[in-house]
Amino acid sequence: LPDSAVNDVESRSRFLEKSLLAAGALVGGGVLVGGFPNFAASAPSPEQDVEILNFALLLEYTEFAFYSEALSRGGLSGDLLEYATTVRRHEQAHVAFLERALGSKARAKPTFAFGDTTSDPDKFASTAATLEDSVVAAYNGQATNLTKKTLVAAAKIVSVEARHAGWIRAIVGEDPAPDATDTPQTPAQVTAALKRARLLK
Amino acid sequence: MTFDELDRDGAICEAFDAAIGESRAAFLGRALVGGGALLAALSAPPSAEAAAASDIAILNYALTLEYVQAAFYTETERMGAIGAELAPVPAQLGAVERGHVKALRKVLGKAAVKRPSFNFAGVTEDRDAFLKTAVAFEDLAVAAYKGQAARVKSSEVLAAAVSIHTVEARHAAWMRYLVGIQPAAVAFDEPRPEEQVRAIVASTKFIVAAPQMQGKGNPRFTG
Repeated sequence: LPDSAVNDVESRSRFLEKSLLAAGALVGGGVLVGGFPNFAASAPSPEQDVEILNFALLLEYTEFAFYSEALSRGGLSGDLLEYATTVRRHEQAHVAFLERALGSKARAKPTFAFGDTTSDPDKFASTAATLEDSVVAAYNGQATNLTKKTLVAAAKIVSVEARHAGWIRAIVGEDPAPDATDTPQTPAQVTAALKRARLLK
Repeated sequence: MTFDELDRDGAICEAFDAAIGESRAAFLGRALVGGGALLAALSAPPSAEAAAASDIAILNYALTLEYVQAAFYTETERMGAIGAELAPVPAQLGAVERGHVKALRKVLGKAAVKRPSFNFAGVTEDRDAFLKTAVAFEDLAVAAYKGQAARVKSSEVLAAAVSIHTVEARHAAWMRYLVGIQPAAVAFDEPRPEEQVRAIVASTKFIVAAPQMQGKGNPRFTG
C-alpha cells in the first residue's frame, strides 16, 4: 500500500473505532438466527454495526485464508498468480482494518478446510469468483443496516471486492459484470453459498 | 489532454499492445446484457414527489454521469471503429449504462434532468482512446457513487445505488484488465465529492451543451 493509503486507513480506523465505541455498551449476544446474525431486525445503530462488521470480518478472514493457502501451495502461475498475490494483500488490509475497528469485540478467527480449491488452478479460479461475488452481495445486503459513518468505510471496501470479482471473472473468461445491478444477499444466503463452495464449514 | 487529468494512476497510457489477447475473444463474445434487475431494484422507492429534495439531487447527479457513460458507449458501438474483437465491450456496457439511465429517469419522472449533448472528440473511434476513456469514466463513477453513500436519505434509493456502485467497479476492473493495468490498484477505493467529479467531467469537454441549447452553436468535431 502507498503511504497515503495506509495513513488514510489508519485515521479511518480510529474514526470508525470511536464511532463504534461512542455508544458505550456494545452488543452482547445479538440476534442469532441459525447461528448467523439477523441484521434486518432493527434500525442502524453502533451495536448493530458491530454485528455486521463481525460478519464482514468472517468473510475477510475467509478470503485472506483462501488466497494465503493457494499461494503457499504454489499451484498458481501467470494471471492467477498475480491476481492471488494482489488480492491477498487487499484482504489482509481489510482484516486489519476490521480487527482494529472492532477491537475486543472482534470475532474469533475460524479454521478452514479448503480442500483442493487452493491447489487446483481451475478450481481455485471458479471458487475465487464465487467468493468475491458472494462478498460483494454480502456487503451490498448490509448497506441500509449500517450507520452512515460505518457505511462510508464499508463502501471503500465493497468496490474493491467488486473489482476482484470483475478481475477473476475476466481472467477465466466469464462475464465480469453479468447484470446491471449486483443483487444484495442476506447473511444466510451468503453463508449457504460459501458452504456449497466448501469455503465455510 | 483530458486523459491526463483522468488518469489517476498515471499508468493507463501503458501496456496496450499485449492487452487484447486471443483468449479474450470468446469471453467478449459471450458478453451478456442485463437491465431488468435495476428496474426491479428501483421499483420500490417513493415517487420523486415524495422523496427528499437532496435525494432527487443525488439521483439527478447520478443520472448525469450515466448519460455521459451511456452516450459514450452507444456512440462507440455505432461508430464501429475499435475493432471486431473489442466490439462487444461498448455493446454490453452501453446496454447496462442505458439501463441505469432508464431506471433513474423512471424513478425521477418529471424531476429528471434532460439529456445533454455530447462531443466525444474522436475517443469513440480509436481503440486505445476508447479504452483509456472507459477506464477513466468507470473509476470516476465508482468514486462518485461512493461519495454519495452517506448522503442518501431513502433506504430504497441507497440499496439501488450501492448495487449500481459495485457494477461500475466490476466495469472498472474489466476495462483495466483489457488495458493491461492493475484492475484493483489499492485495498480501499476512495470516494470523490460531487464538485470534484463534475469538475473532472467538465474538463473532458464531452458535454458540449445544456439540453435547452441543443441544436445551437457549432460543435467541435475532430473525429
